[in-house]
Amino acid sequence: MRSKSMLARLLVFTLCGVFLFGGAAFGADKVIKIGTLFPLTGPSAVSGQNCLNSLLAAVEVINNAHPELDMPLAAKAGLLDGYKIELVKADHQGKPDVAKSEAERLYNQENVFAIIGSYNSSATKPASAVAERAKKLFLCGASSSAALTERGYKYFFRHAPTDAIESEEFTDYISWLNKEKNAGIKTLGLFYENSEFGKHAADEAKKAAKEVGLEITADVPFNVGATNLSSEVQTLKAANPDAVFGAALGGDYSLWVRTMKQVNWLPKIAINYCTGYQNPAVQKELGADGNYFMGGMSFSPELAEKFMPEALVVQEKFYRPLANQPFDSDSVQEAVMLMILGQAIEKAGALDTEKVREILASETFVSPLSLSGEVAFAPGGQNIKALSVITQIENQKYNTIYPEKFKDSEVIYPMKPWDNR
Amino acid sequence: MGNFLQVLIDGLLNGLLYALVAAGLSLIWGVMDVINFAHGEFLMVAMYLSYWLGFLLDIDPFISWIAGGIFLFLLGAVTYRLIIKNSLGKAAMAPLLATFGLSMLLKNFCMNVFTPNFRLLSGNWLEGRTIAFGGAIVPLPQLVTALFAFAVLGVLYWMLKKTRLGWAIQATAMDKEAAELMGIDTERIYLLVFGMGGACVGIAGSLMTSYLAVYPEVGGLFSLIAFVVVALGGFGSIPGALLAALLIGLVESFSGFYIAAVVKYVAVFAVYLGVILLRPRGLFGW
Amino acid sequence: MKSKRSSTLWYAFLLAALALPFLPGGIGNTFHGHVLTMILLYASMAQSWNIISGYCGQISFGHAVFFGIGAYGAALAVVTFDSLPWYGVPAGAAAAAIVSVLISAPCFRLKGHYFAIATFATVEIFNRLFMIWDWVGGAIGLDYPILEDGWRNFSWSGTKNGYYLGALALFTLVFGIVRRIESHRMGYYLRAVREGQETAESLGVNSTFVKLSAMALSAALAALCGAFFAQYNYRVDPPMVMSLDMSMKFVLITILGGLGTFWGPLLGAAILIPLQEYTRAYLSHLGSGVDLMIFGLIIIVTMIKQPRGIMGIVHSLRKKPETPAASEEICEDREGER
Repeated sequence: MRSKSMLARLLVFTLCGVFLFGGAAFGADKVIKIGTLFPLTGPSAVSGQNCLNSLLAAVEVINNAHPELDMPLAAKAGLLDGYKIELVKADHQGKPDVAKSEAERLYNQENVFAIIGSYNSSATKPASAVAERAKKLFLCGASSSAALTERGYKYFFRHAPTDAIESEEFTDYISWLNKEKNAGIKTLGLFYENSEFGKHAADEAKKAAKEVGLEITADVPFNVGATNLSSEVQTLKAANPDAVFGAALGGDYSLWVRTMKQVNWLPKIAINYCTGYQNPAVQKELGADGNYFMGGMSFSPELAEKFMPEALVVQEKFYRPLANQPFDSDSVQEAVMLMILGQAIEKAGALDTEKVREILASETFVSPLSLSGEVAFAPGGQNIKALSVITQIENQKYNTIYPEKFKDSEVIYPMKPWDNR
Repeated sequence: MGNFLQVLIDGLLNGLLYALVAAGLSLIWGVMDVINFAHGEFLMVAMYLSYWLGFLLDIDPFISWIAGGIFLFLLGAVTYRLIIKNSLGKAAMAPLLATFGLSMLLKNFCMNVFTPNFRLLSGNWLEGRTIAFGGAIVPLPQLVTALFAFAVLGVLYWMLKKTRLGWAIQATAMDKEAAELMGIDTERIYLLVFGMGGACVGIAGSLMTSYLAVYPEVGGLFSLIAFVVVALGGFGSIPGALLAALLIGLVESFSGFYIAAVVKYVAVFAVYLGVILLRPRGLFGW
Repeated sequence: MKSKRSSTLWYAFLLAALALPFLPGGIGNTFHGHVLTMILLYASMAQSWNIISGYCGQISFGHAVFFGIGAYGAALAVVTFDSLPWYGVPAGAAAAAIVSVLISAPCFRLKGHYFAIATFATVEIFNRLFMIWDWVGGAIGLDYPILEDGWRNFSWSGTKNGYYLGALALFTLVFGIVRRIESHRMGYYLRAVREGQETAESLGVNSTFVKLSAMALSAALAALCGAFFAQYNYRVDPPMVMSLDMSMKFVLITILGGLGTFWGPLLGAAILIPLQEYTRAYLSHLGSGVDLMIFGLIIIVTMIKQPRGIMGIVHSLRKKPETPAASEEICEDREGER
């Protein structure tokens, strides 16, 4: 009989929780509910939680008066005539099916005005399909799959530069190196996780490499969460390409770098898609071993200091207390999307999805948290002002090396070999 | 030729790591016919322990494995007392599913407490040290871990074959009732076995921290491979587990290099299926 | 075997479930509608697994493979061939049945945990092969275009009624088949094989044939559930459908409800699915994994306290004071697991 009382107690506990949190939804009336849908648990939880923290920082900026910040929506408290943003948080665990049903719940049950999410492109796809069918807004900060904005959706807007844009930038940079520095880079190796994200990135990289006549000599997808990467790195080493494009998240990234160190091999240049490379926590633990790798980024504290001073203030005042680290280029973009949505609502003058959608689709927004300083969306929802730069890491500092306009340091080329550091 | 040697060495080192990870599982399975589904999470807990000992107290993984072994012994014993003992023999697969629940609990508990961040211990004694061996490179942390695998498996084997405790364990494994009639406290044996199984994985996890990142999901693939190693080696056979682990490691590295890296686990699981169908009780099964 | 009372219960349940969407405030597009639909879907999945594992005693951890094949059947028809899901559904079910027989024929020789681990391995192999097989979308997966609502495309957006009724039809089919089997000769064969293969053989039951046909049926039904899952989520990729997590759902729901019992899968789904969905909906925003911790804890407690599942509790309530023999007949420890 004890079994039943135990089960019953658990059930009561759960139900209490349900009512408690369900109940919290009532109350204050002048609120704009915005759904957030990120992987708060599961394999990509690190990034998901950073994204959520970044949104919380943006909410703080919008909801309270911060005249000291020189950015739209900061000076006044709230939106319209005193509306506050309230985030309704949901967790999709990195699973597309959960993302889909949580998106439905947010729109239909919680009556959110829009959803911001979902980090993993594979989760963003079905979740934004829900939005499109229901004619609700879906805003996406960091998902990088180019396919997302090739669907011709009307209610979908995405800030991040796509894999396609980044790949072209990488190959541009290689051409530039070949021309200016006589780098002699002829062959390319691809090292990517065999997932939705990695595969997309690799496909775009292949296209871009073909454009500039780079020969792909190693095409090495690996299993996410692998126990070791020795055969992968051995394959790269045997093919010995001049350049490597990498797409590996957190744990896999550090394992990759360490394994290359073990076999004492490096390409002349290694450029990463938005991945473990740009996670400050990962770089901190790699320490000096992480040096001289490169990556596409749209945010770094160093860039921010020069081009986005407001972002640094937001970071120090509101983000760091929550996340205990600086922004990274994924998380900051979620905050940008909320700021843009806020501006669009303000311009529409009312909580009218259609009006806000039209404004989003047609106007150009001032965005002090974006590298380019502004945001505008093409049909399909891609941010045409999306910009990323190539950085090279040195002693946990992201030096910007390309394009010329943003450059703050000279590239160290080729990467210093392991035994000469 | 240089490649071949390197791939061979990688395969052997990985195989020995798998053997170390699987040793505890093999012992538990052999004696109690229980699969501990939370094995990978035990590994993760040990890795966190070793990470924090290294990070906060500056204790190198090559020392903190002692703490890992002791802590996981206790965790194993507690798991036995609270979960296994109460689900054993009640229904088919009940212990397996109960430990599956435990794995969810542990994984999410660690995520809650330690955040999902990847943590990599740096500044270890052997970090980045390698020795050259005929054109191939042997990383020292992995080599030492591999030697530990021999040591742990050797001690287990010796204990089972040569000590009174080992005989009691074997007797319990063969026939629990008969062992009880002989005056063996099988309850205590089970408790010890589960604890020792935990200790083995604790040692493995602690050592791995010297070159692998720790995060809540780290145990997933390791535990699957450990299951395969144990089943391939044959029910509770320590030499079987060692041989199976080496086979798995070699299949992984050779298929990963000579076919394609992305198919290496397909090859591992396919080889396992192939062998197990020819020898339904594993290589050394009885 | 089948009492009049259980028949009444069955038809009453179907009638009530059918009436639900037509009641005022029934399903609509609510989260509760989603949960109800998922209960029916997961109950059907668990019941299809129950055929081979509960009734026939072969505990398989590989059903995600068949579920996935069914899901890919529907998705390939819609996405790759630009056609209707209805063509993909029977193809997927047939493919799943064939694959299940090809895998099981050799694997049935394995006993106990060896069989279980072999089925794990199959899931891993299929998962990783589908991850690199470009024709089925590889790691990128298959995404549905936006389709017109209705039965033709088996796709709805404004309301859950269609999905709910579809799930109910699936449920009726799967549970109906199992009801037939229970009272049919096949049911006795299955149980005979479960209780002891040698004895069954000596009574003239061709145990290999019985096991293979039960597996094929079980796989085909699981594939139908997979097709529904793909249609419901507008997307398929290998980690979604062909993963150990998915396999564990088949197992957990049935065992929680009661292995080898008719109502067990429904009861298990009716408890686990709302628990999973509501804890996630209302606790997961804490980002702390509390929902999954509770989930894990409940599994542990169930396995410790009542490993025969909810049906075990029902039995012990009905027959007070508890007679151990009554509940033990449901799932006695299999002999010779080693």
